Amino acid sequence: MPMGLLGFEQSKEFNLLADPEEAPFAWLQCSQGTRVSFLIVDPFIFFPDYQPDVSAEDAAFLGLSTPQDAAVFNIVTLRPGGNPTINLKGPIVINRQTRTAKQVIPSNAAVYQVQHPLPTAS
Amino acid sequence: MLILSRKVNENIVIDGRILVKIVRIDGENVKLGIEAPIDVPVHRQEVYDEIQRNNREAVSSGRVPVPRIPRPKRPLDPGTGSSEGGSGSQGTPS
Repeated sequence: MPMGLLGFEQSKEFNLLADPEEAPFAWLQCSQGTRVSFLIVDPFIFFPDYQPDVSAEDAAFLGLSTPQDAAVFNIVTLRPGGNPTINLKGPIVINRQTRTAKQVIPSNAAVYQVQHPLPTAS
Repeated sequence: MLILSRKVNENIVIDGRILVKIVRIDGENVKLGIEAPIDVPVHRQEVYDEIQRNNREAVSSGRVPVPRIPRPKRPLDPGTGSSEGGSGSQGTPS
């Protein structure tokens, strides 16, 4: 993740930890210095109509030639005593072939919320 | 802060590699065109701030229990953003 995450620009190397027991969630864990982690999830399971418009510049940065090469994850915020939210405004796009990733701001970001409620089982 | 006056269609060059053009002025709205190298992120500040703040709230120092979710609408296949097909197995970046 050459540009890091917004606010974490210095964290550039991450491992994607996907435990089947935690699916569809996974963890992005920084492998440098302070090992910050972010809980991420495949957004399409919850929001099948989700369609972030990745700009041509971001697609070029990620070296994406086809949409099939892109994996999309969104950061989940856990809130003690509250319901978790998902950031639909700033998805993380990963090039499956090169493993390069970037947190992008889609051109249609205005229609999505940074703290969208995540449906959870009661 | 450096303050410069510019007219429509005039530019500002930053660091010899970033070009900011005044495209149009319409009342309170100023339309800017920005040409920057691919590794220079350009964002509207309020959107940048909002996402940055959320990232700071979301950060965790380690793995904690994940939320329980309702029955999925389609088979679980984490990471398969868009579709069937393609190269199939994707593995885990490490």
